[in-house]
Amino acid sequence: MTTLLSVEGVGKTFGGVTALTGVDLSVARGEICSVIGPNGAGKTTLFNIISGVLRPTTGRIVFDGVDLSGVRPWRFAATGIGRTFQNLALFKHGTVVENILTGRHSHLKSTVLDAIVYFGRTRREEIEARRRVEEIIEFLEIEHVRDAVVGTLSYGQQKRVELARALASEPKLLLLDEMVSGMNQEETEDIARFVLDIRDEFGISVVMVEHDMRIVMDISDRIHVMNFGRKIAEGPPDAIKSNPEVAKAYLGGHGSDHGGSAQTRIANVGA
Amino acid sequence: MRSGTYKETYAQLVALTDSRLVWFWSAVLLAVLFVAPYYLNAYALSFLTLILITAMGALGLNILTGFTGLISLGQVGFLVTGAYAYAIAVSKFGWSPFAGFLLAALVPAVASLIVGAPSLRLKGLYLAITTMAFSFIINSVILEARSLTNGARGIRVRHPDLLGVGTAGDVAFSHLCLVFALAALFATLNLRRSRVGRAFVAIRDNDIAARAMGINLQSYKLLAFATSATMTGLAGALYGIYLSFVSVEGFPFLLSIEALAILIVGGLGSTLGAILGTVFIVLLPEATRLVFSAVSGGAGGLFTTGGQELKSILYGLVIILFLRFQPRGLVGAWHDLKRAWVNWPLRY
Repeated sequence: MTTLLSVEGVGKTFGGVTALTGVDLSVARGEICSVIGPNGAGKTTLFNIISGVLRPTTGRIVFDGVDLSGVRPWRFAATGIGRTFQNLALFKHGTVVENILTGRHSHLKSTVLDAIVYFGRTRREEIEARRRVEEIIEFLEIEHVRDAVVGTLSYGQQKRVELARALASEPKLLLLDEMVSGMNQEETEDIARFVLDIRDEFGISVVMVEHDMRIVMDISDRIHVMNFGRKIAEGPPDAIKSNPEVAKAYLGGHGSDHGGSAQTRIANVGA
Repeated sequence: MRSGTYKETYAQLVALTDSRLVWFWSAVLLAVLFVAPYYLNAYALSFLTLILITAMGALGLNILTGFTGLISLGQVGFLVTGAYAYAIAVSKFGWSPFAGFLLAALVPAVASLIVGAPSLRLKGLYLAITTMAFSFIINSVILEARSLTNGARGIRVRHPDLLGVGTAGDVAFSHLCLVFALAALFATLNLRRSRVGRAFVAIRDNDIAARAMGINLQSYKLLAFATSATMTGLAGALYGIYLSFVSVEGFPFLLSIEALAILIVGGLGSTLGAILGTVFIVLLPEATRLVFSAVSGGAGGLFTTGGQELKSILYGLVIILFLRFQPRGLVGAWHDLKRAWVNWPLRY
């Protein structure tokens, strides 16, 4: 498998606060990765750097052969990086369809003058965009709410709309920030199924930041564990479950007996 | 209840409306607006023309404040820039009215890029103050640049001849304003259902997510300013012709407040709201005057002596009342009414 994304020695400081130190991470094409770690470990900061919301203080990110340090923040979508946000970041006054259409922004070309006239190429472009959006709506099974204003939907549905919006940009890499937090078992299973389908049908690589160990252990090909801004472990789910460093990070244990119990806990959750 | 409407093509999904009824009533309204000037008396006709011009200005502000969420108190600055651009081109240089209208669109757009530049960093109240300062600076520039603008004396503007058709009469001028207002209306509606309009709304609702979707915040905010200023500038040119005299006094700061009041009363971010709000706000002082005169003859006189002051009191009052009791504006009330009508006798 070839490498799609490689994060090389990325560090980030906010004033005197160090959020990330020398993080290395790579994602292969068609891989589903998870980034886990306790609160404040720097997972979301890492996501924000990969998606262009923040600039790294040190290190660099190479995506699909392109060094992202020279890419302007709004070009990340066109480069092929799509994302969802930890706390919903939808355009809440718009309908579901409008939100997903906005995700196609970087694939459309019409200028303000084209838009005002709305004729010929612009109209064809909008019709084509609408067709693609309907495909995504069907894929994520949100047909029944397509004309609803996003702000009126339930939390789980809004998360799904955010996923749809990210898919609309036709990314090569999809970053999902705590997709299933606050979801019940059934909703979580739906999302797990969608993530697998997204990889299998569209060949999109997925990186998830997730606290829910069930989905992490079930569908990840590889897991990266972070603590205090550093990456402390990497490997397939089984290896991570039995890693004493990981258990220590989660429970802050010092002795071997504490570590042992923590290990069992994570292993149990994953089972 | 409307039922049995099926959409079979994607083209139907992106159409402005799929309802024949809406097209029918819009055509009726258009016909009425076209014929009405022949039957209205001069006083009523002046209100119709004023509504058409104001609607264009309100649609312009709606793009900036309603769609993109950038609060501007400087709309009168774009209005006056457009009016002077037209007046100077046509009355001083004797250029054709077409060139005048072109300048009335371009000059405010360029000015808006200058005032828009700080908007890349400023938000909310700070931006409102910056744009307000802009409109006062424009006034000072106009008063000082006497060789071009005649300073405080102002410039007389005649009704233009377009393609050999004179608009000297009030009826013809009203038709000209109707054409402009219609163009502004369709421009706004089309903008709202296209990539650019969606980008504007995305910036208003969540700028970080908007950027993650590939929207360049800087250029789209400037684009919103330029589009808004172009529309407002053209409205300014028409307003100058309507007043038949362009001067700084003809464009008081109150017009900026009036524009905001229109959006709040109509429903922020809604194109239909901007139109409803325009009708409401333009007719409000007149309606109040009629009520007061009916109650006591003397009170009506207040409106001739203290018109501006009473207007600002009224605008303030309706802004407060709408924010408190109908924050979604007239368009919200209209939607509620429609739903009640469709579902009656059930509640929902």
